[in-house]
Amino acid sequence: MSDLALAPAAAPAGAPGRWRIIRAVAAREWLEMRRDRRLVALFAFAALLMLAALGFGAAENARIGREREAAAQADRLLWTGQGAKNPHAAAHFGQYAFKPASPLALADPGVDPYVGTAVWLEAHKQNEAQFRPARDGGTAARLGGLSLAFILQVVAPLVVLLTGFASFSGERESGALRQVLSLGVRPQDLLAGKALALLGAAAALLAPAFLAAAAAVALFADPAKLSLADQYLRLLGLALGYGVYLTGFAFLALGVSALARDSRAALVALLAFWLANAFVAPRLSADVARALAPTPTAQEFRAAVAKDKAKTFGHDETHPAFIAFREETLKKYGVSRVEDLPVSFRGLTLRRDDEAGYAIYDSHFGALQGAFEKQDALRAAGGFLFPLLALQPLSMALAGTDSRAQFDFASAAEAHRRLIQNEVSDNIIHFQRDERYVAGPELWKRIAAFSYAAPGAGVALAGAREAIAGLLGWLALTLLFAVVAVRRLRPI
Amino acid sequence: MKSFLAGFFAEARILARARAVGLALVALAAAALFALHAGAGRVASQQAVVAAARAEEAQRLDGLKTSLARLESGATQEEPPPYRDPRNAVFMGAGPAARVAALAPQPLALVAVGQSDLLSAVIRVTSGSKDAFLFADEIENPALLSSGATDLAFIVVHVYPLVILALAFNLLAGEREQGTLVMTLAAARRPGAALAGKLAARLVAPIAIMLLATALGIGLFAGWDALASASFLRLVAVILVYGLFWAALAAAVDGLGQSSAFNALTLIGAWVALALLAPAGINSLAAFVYPAPSRIDMTLAARAAATDADKSRDAMLARYVEEHAGQKPAGAREGTLRRLATQEAAFERVEGVIAAHDAALSRQRALVDRLSFLSPTLLAYGALADVAGAGEARYRDFLDRLSAFHLDWRAFFLTRAKAGQAMTAADYDALPRFAETPAPESAVGSALLGMALPTLLLAFLAWRGFRRVARPEPRGAKRPRPR
Repeated sequence: MSDLALAPAAAPAGAPGRWRIIRAVAAREWLEMRRDRRLVALFAFAALLMLAALGFGAAENARIGREREAAAQADRLLWTGQGAKNPHAAAHFGQYAFKPASPLALADPGVDPYVGTAVWLEAHKQNEAQFRPARDGGTAARLGGLSLAFILQVVAPLVVLLTGFASFSGERESGALRQVLSLGVRPQDLLAGKALALLGAAAALLAPAFLAAAAAVALFADPAKLSLADQYLRLLGLALGYGVYLTGFAFLALGVSALARDSRAALVALLAFWLANAFVAPRLSADVARALAPTPTAQEFRAAVAKDKAKTFGHDETHPAFIAFREETLKKYGVSRVEDLPVSFRGLTLRRDDEAGYAIYDSHFGALQGAFEKQDALRAAGGFLFPLLALQPLSMALAGTDSRAQFDFASAAEAHRRLIQNEVSDNIIHFQRDERYVAGPELWKRIAAFSYAAPGAGVALAGAREAIAGLLGWLALTLLFAVVAVRRLRPI
Repeated sequence: MKSFLAGFFAEARILARARAVGLALVALAAAALFALHAGAGRVASQQAVVAAARAEEAQRLDGLKTSLARLESGATQEEPPPYRDPRNAVFMGAGPAARVAALAPQPLALVAVGQSDLLSAVIRVTSGSKDAFLFADEIENPALLSSGATDLAFIVVHVYPLVILALAFNLLAGEREQGTLVMTLAAARRPGAALAGKLAARLVAPIAIMLLATALGIGLFAGWDALASASFLRLVAVILVYGLFWAALAAAVDGLGQSSAFNALTLIGAWVALALLAPAGINSLAAFVYPAPSRIDMTLAARAAATDADKSRDAMLARYVEEHAGQKPAGAREGTLRRLATQEAAFERVEGVIAAHDAALSRQRALVDRLSFLSPTLLAYGALADVAGAGEARYRDFLDRLSAFHLDWRAFFLTRAKAGQAMTAADYDALPRFAETPAPESAVGSALLGMALPTLLLAFLAWRGFRRVARPEPRGAKRPRPR
């Protein structure tokens, strides 16, 4: 008798007929959702929350932008206003590189509160970025702030689950499911119709958020400094990513609802999964990543750098490497005394020492970033089961607020430091004749101010391959689960 | 009392047979134990960082003393540059001789991460301005930092309430829907007491399991002595009162007389609002109203001070050369004096910027503190961080003591530098030390009060709701019908 619902003969109208059924089911579901005042209120509340979060994000982004712009200008004035001094003394004074806020940080601040915002570009040394904003946030700030990403990652799935948990079980309890199946509606069509309605609801949740985000980007992003097209491409990627994330939740809700004994059991199971995905998995996966791919302590890292740097001579004229370089240089120029060199030997030593340092810093900072990326990949590996683990890195990457974006900024800052070092060393090589040599503001002005342009959306997407694969895996898994679950539906 | 006990034991027997309840309680206990185990690992890492910093300090200072001895004995003939000369007070105080100020983990540090993963427990204090040493960070993947840690505080503020709600949300509604409410009320001599007993059975289980697992975990991973401390009593009080808040909320909603589904959705909504959205909203609002000033201002002030000191030094030198034609100020001595002038100028300006910054942050945090009474989760989280010694009060105390030590440290080196005295072996033996005083007692009173008041209000509402159900009906009236 149950074949009544499953036999192809029960759906004689063929494909166009099936589509009509699917549309009819979706329309009825949609109507019921719209009639449910609690659901309408829930969606309205979620929409308001998202708009409030975007408002906070936009205000914060604008403030950060103003602050860093002003700081960059003030630092430039300090650099150019140094007065006459030896170029190497100016290199020790250095410059600061300030990280510009990514426009889409207004939607997903990502790791920005947990990374430094400024790097001191000084002689001899590659510094880490300083001043993590979260340091000043206090204990309460560890419970997070209201961001669009937080609402979409944590609250929106809950809204989808609450909308969909009774889709099948509620109808089973009221007897409507039996009637519908007895009419010959295929369970798969029923699933498709309900999914269409639920996805419509999810789209209704996402659309205002992304339209508002697009408007905010247009208002706050400066087209002279970055490509708006790239920002919109990133925003489109974000919309697709969040769409896949919520679609998976819709299929999960439908599948569980089809399988569950009753609506209560469906709700409990779905809430348990939501809790695990939103709260437990991110923390546990962080613990696992730390255990499997440990990073050095700050002291270990600095000690390892110092150990390698000890092989270079710095300002130590008794260092064997210094003596060897002096011999090599004298030989190269065919003279027997430093004083007879046609160029400044001090400048040559500075350049040689810097070049030795560059390789050391590249190796250590590269290895550290490699360890971070290994940890990130380990976390994203569970993304097909707990999709937040995949969505978060994708969202941060597209918003330009992940640790790769930070590394890119830090690398650009280091490139600028090297430019400064090379310029001042060259100046010393060619112009310094004695210890009293000083250069003036014309040299400081000739050395350009740091400017940074984040890489395009393509680079961000390439870095988030595991995350994208995880999200697609989540979608495939939940779709399969829902299809298998509804195949068990019987009219009687 | 008899009716209460009868209700209590009858409900306890029902719960004992429910496999899902047992599973939830075991999961809660396991999560608490796991979190404490992870916390113990974290504390061990922090202790290792402190020990490594102290070892590095000892090795560094020994190296300086050895170099000094070689210079004084004439074993080293060559004059070192001032920044490497152990006799030079200006340069040594500004880095090579720096002392470590450490914030050792407290006995209950395994309970909460709090601020401990962001604020380094080890600071190398120098005679420079604070911008040079106060903001050094520990290395950590920022993505892991932003996810938060699996600590007991997380289990208590987020998971524990859900288990309480799952057990307490439908005592009346469930009995009404199963049709057993009328029987329960009819069978008891005092129906109100019987219902209270049944509710107590549902609430005692998660709260007792949470407290027992906490005690067991702390005993196992922090030592049984920790259970005899006042901090442990505070921890128990926070867990108990926070649990009672959610229990009272569940009972109050159940007392409204609605269906199980209504109760479940209302309570989930309340949990999302109070445990997720309120803290996030309060944080964002406070940051919006009183934005944290940029720390970059401090750095720029120090750099401006350095530039000004340089220019002033250059002008002085120019005058000197003008007045003493043919003479040249000694290079090394000039380098030292220049460094001293820079340090002095930067110190004053940076202190001023930091004071203004701290005042602005205090306004932001005061707003968060006031608004946190809207979210028991925020109160409980802050209280747990304080009990663990990883909250704001302890860091404030640490920074205040650090400021005092910084002044001592500067005075020690700068008095010698200004007097042109060389550092001696005796000076190295007499270097000031950062006094590690016991942490101030964590004050959780206001958090407890902030959770207890709404708990009492909700308990009153629950009592009224339950009494409505349990009281004998007036003649002719009907008992609430099973829905």
